Amino acid sequence: MDRDAEFRRLYEAHRAAVHAYFVGRTGDRQLAADLMQEVFLRAWQHLDRLTGLPEDGQRGWLFTVARNLSVDSARHQRTADGAQRALEHEPSGGQASVAAPASTAVLAAERATVVAAAIAKLPEQQRVTLAMAAAGELNSAEIGVALGVPAGTVRYRLSLARRTLAEALGDYDDPEEEQ
Amino acid sequence: MSLDDDLAAWAATVRLPEADAAAIFQRIVASAAGPAAPAERPVAPAAAPSLDPSWWRGYNAGFAARMVASTAPVRLAA
Repeated sequence: MDRDAEFRRLYEAHRAAVHAYFVGRTGDRQLAADLMQEVFLRAWQHLDRLTGLPEDGQRGWLFTVARNLSVDSARHQRTADGAQRALEHEPSGGQASVAAPASTAVLAAERATVVAAAIAKLPEQQRVTLAMAAAGELNSAEIGVALGVPAGTVRYRLSLARRTLAEALGDYDDPEEEQ
Repeated sequence: MSLDDDLAAWAATVRLPEADAAAIFQRIVASAAGPAAPAERPVAPAAAPSLDPSWWRGYNAGFAARMVASTAPVRLAA
């Protein structure tokens, strides 16, 4: 397999997960894309070394680079400040406090805003794990390899995150539901 | 609407669009840094200019003289 084809396979296999990781860390889809590009640029530069690794080893390598990038102090400071705002505004299709009458589209947008705000408020470890599961479509074992934690820890973080989200949505649903 | 539906809807808003992902791929592959890998191979050092044979003859003679002198028995003080 030539160099470009090998890199394309690597990129397609892992780009969504790496991007989801950065979305969880930064809360900003565009900044996450920039960081993802940097990770894969390094992968491109070290492709000869990467191609000799098994699948899990490649994922581990990519996420080691990703973690190192995301702890870069200046970048992290900038992104941490914007993380909450960005996540809250991401699905900004409608106003959060529309009362009535509400079409299905408006309700969906409002609900999406509630979900995004609740995700933004999660502790970082839970937010990153949830983003990798939901947007990166990785299972617990794969997330564990990427983050360097046991799969059981991943499942526990996901469980906590889902419970918090369910409570936030419960608070949102209850006042309207019975009328 | 289930929590999974909510999460799927959220994920759709944060996922990188295919067009953006393709553009990033092209930028990386087109970068000058990529094909630089073969250049990382160690390059053989350039040969140093050789010394004149007469310099080596003088050097060897001096070296031999120093070696012989260094093996002479030390004269003990009376």
